Amino acid sequence: MTALAAVITRDLRLALRQGGGAGIALGFFLTVLVLIPLGIGPDVALLARIAPGTLWIALLLSVLLSADRIFEPDHDDGSLEIMTLGPVPLELIVLAKAAAHWLATALPMALAAPFLGLLLNLDPALLLPLGLSMLPASLALSLLASLVAAVTVGLKRGGLLLSILALPLYLPALIFGVAASAGDDTLSASRSAALLILLALVLLALVIAPFAGAAALRAHLR
Amino acid sequence: MQQFANPRRFLKLIDAVEPWAWAFTVILLAVGLYLSLVVAPQDYQQGETVRIMFVHVPAAWMALLAYLDMALASAVAIIFRHPLADIAAKAAAPIGACFTFLALATGSLWGKPMWGTWWVWDARLTSMFVLFLLYLGYIAIWHAIDDPGRAARIAAIVALVGCINLPIIKFSVDWWNTLHQPASVFRIGGPTLHPAILAPLLVMGAAYLALFVTLHLTAIRAEIMARRLRQMELARADEV
Amino acid sequence: MDLAAPHLGFVLAAYGLSLLVLGGLVLWLRHRSRTLAQAVQQLEAEGAPRRRAIAGAP
Repeated sequence: MTALAAVITRDLRLALRQGGGAGIALGFFLTVLVLIPLGIGPDVALLARIAPGTLWIALLLSVLLSADRIFEPDHDDGSLEIMTLGPVPLELIVLAKAAAHWLATALPMALAAPFLGLLLNLDPALLLPLGLSMLPASLALSLLASLVAAVTVGLKRGGLLLSILALPLYLPALIFGVAASAGDDTLSASRSAALLILLALVLLALVIAPFAGAAALRAHLR
Repeated sequence: MQQFANPRRFLKLIDAVEPWAWAFTVILLAVGLYLSLVVAPQDYQQGETVRIMFVHVPAAWMALLAYLDMALASAVAIIFRHPLADIAAKAAAPIGACFTFLALATGSLWGKPMWGTWWVWDARLTSMFVLFLLYLGYIAIWHAIDDPGRAARIAAIVALVGCINLPIIKFSVDWWNTLHQPASVFRIGGPTLHPAILAPLLVMGAAYLALFVTLHLTAIRAEIMARRLRQMELARADEV
Repeated sequence: MDLAAPHLGFVLAAYGLSLLVLGGLVLWLRHRSRTLAQAVQQLEAEGAPRRRAIAGAP
């Protein structure tokens, strides 16, 4: 357990300092949210309608942007190989790195999103559903990002490949995430249903990402 | 299964089967096209454009089948380490991608006279589009990794994760579609599939299946050759 | 088939495209198979070994 905590702490420290992934992701997140109303126009009603979708897309893209930093630096300096040989199972390493990514990058954005949504004239009644759905979903996004990062670690042009591979994985989370955080009062029942499905997706990601990610890392490092 | 682990023996099998596969394919295609273009009646709603269904739906079926084939081969590759499994998976990918492209393109050509736009984010087309991305990602992995053994393992993982994801995507896109399009504007094939429409569809489906199998065999042969070529070139380099 | 039907162009385009793509696929795969077989035969004629001389080589 302490080894796990050690990996998480290490990754957190690396991500949060200057030039780490967290800053880049957050900066991108803010940029997107400011550019959208500037690009689309100040039509308040329109912004309110697209606010939930926009916030989700910004979250997705920001997480994706910082994904390659999950394994790449460790792969470059050889510490990833050392981790493979250590006492901690590779699956747990992947889980720990995903957790660190979540804590440093995805979670802060998910927490900030509802409030930044006010910039987009988000309906105040949707603040809670948005927050509630983004919290677990952001974990799924980090987990899936680690999976794709593990698959593409060390590859040239890995960034493009990462996006192509990530999109189909992110699609269900996006669809149900937006469904859980949009609409008016009449849709509150379907919002709850969408939230439950979203939670199921998080659980699925929790299981698949560590195993598939570890398998991919082993294949790369053989 | 084990006796075919020897590529040489498998090549002999392919050579024996291939002419028959081609013959079968050509016959089915001929009959299918005749039924689709001549025999099948006009649709009371869509007129002649209903005939597009006979190339669109089989293409979509094959697009899906090829992916399942790829995923199955990948699973066998990972679990049993059967040497031909990697090859089978790799060979299926470009074929599946072509069928997916055709499903999308013919879907557009069918949709334009029907809905008035070339592209519609309906559940079926959206799912097909994502399937196309899955194929592209898989093929890109093979090209991005130099060592074939390593590429095979990573590609197998990608295929399997994609396969698990497929029903989830279908489910979510269906959900999303009903959320945004409560009234079903258009039901492919009309309210029920009239037997006069069903027969050409099934024959074309069988024809496309025969074509897929034949193409897959050809592609597998090419992959075995490519691998042998690489081994021989490397062996010759060793000698120098 | 009614040759004067309003959207016949779409039908022909769909079938034509299918023929083009699938035909192209057939030709490409057969060409590739043939080219590779020739290259292998060439190397075999030159007496290149089939297995690598160094044991354990990938």
